[in-house]
Amino acid sequence: MSAECIYRLLLRAYPPDFRAEYGREMVLLFRDQCRESDVRTVGFWATVLCDVARSAPALRVEAWRERGRDNTRTMEVLMKLAAMLTVLVGAFGVLNVMVEWGAALTGTIGGMHALALVLGVFASALLLGAGAAILRPTQRGRQAARLALLASLVMIVAARLLFPWMSVFSQLVGIGFPVAILIALHWPHRVSPSGAV
Amino acid sequence: MVTKRRAARPPEAYLPLPPATFHILLALADGELHGYAIMKGVAARSEGTVRLGPGTLYGSLKRLLEAGLVEEGGERVDPERGDERRRYYRLTPLGLSVARAEARRLDAMVRAARRKKLIGVRPA
Repeated sequence: MSAECIYRLLLRAYPPDFRAEYGREMVLLFRDQCRESDVRTVGFWATVLCDVARSAPALRVEAWRERGRDNTRTMEVLMKLAAMLTVLVGAFGVLNVMVEWGAALTGTIGGMHALALVLGVFASALLLGAGAAILRPTQRGRQAARLALLASLVMIVAARLLFPWMSVFSQLVGIGFPVAILIALHWPHRVSPSGAV
Repeated sequence: MVTKRRAARPPEAYLPLPPATFHILLALADGELHGYAIMKGVAARSEGTVRLGPGTLYGSLKRLLEAGLVEEGGERVDPERGDERRRYYRLTPLGLSVARAEARRLDAMVRAARRKKLIGVRPA
């Protein structure tokens, strides 16, 4: 096995992206080193191994951090989309309860039904507020969103208990949506480290 | 030619530089060089005390490119070596400023060491 073949195997210690970008240049440089040194000596290979052992783990860690940063960025974009969807669902909920309230007023409306509708309005308004809070990229905004989502969840559950004829769709959106957003808000958010040379 | 840059920071924000990084910037202060020429330049300037292997050299160059201190100058055959095409690297204006700032920092340290008679006096 030639020295270059051994070095190509050693290159596998580096991250794939780094290898793709600089692998050819590194092999060229190694070839130059081979021309000027005796590749049969232990000292030559000790230097080569030392270089790989010193640089490859650091580059692996950097690549891993870079991937982490990309995941965080993707998560931030997804959270923004989720926040906009929360605002829309909240606004739709308020309108829906208002329409239902108007329809109920044409007939007789029971006390429990009226209370459930009031709770529905508040739950939807809280959902709307939670969406607006998530759009603020601060810890305080996230904390406010969590509280609003929890309060909205409690109100929808209370409305469901007061008014058992609540539609399956309303239950799915009113309970499932805040739960999903609460889970997403617990996703770890890393701070991007500053670039070092 | 791909050059990755971060948002501009003052040159002092990059200090202190790792020795290998400063050696690479010093080598590139002479003009565009490919990897092997940088390696030879560093070894010659340090009288053989600093020897950059391919991993250390290209790892540092990758970081310098990402920080915007160095940029790629295209690929061409080295007329002296006349073999395969090699990628050339050169300093950016920011890289030159950072190298100057690091040189000033080291100069101040050497002057302080001289004032304290740690260097520049013959040992007894």
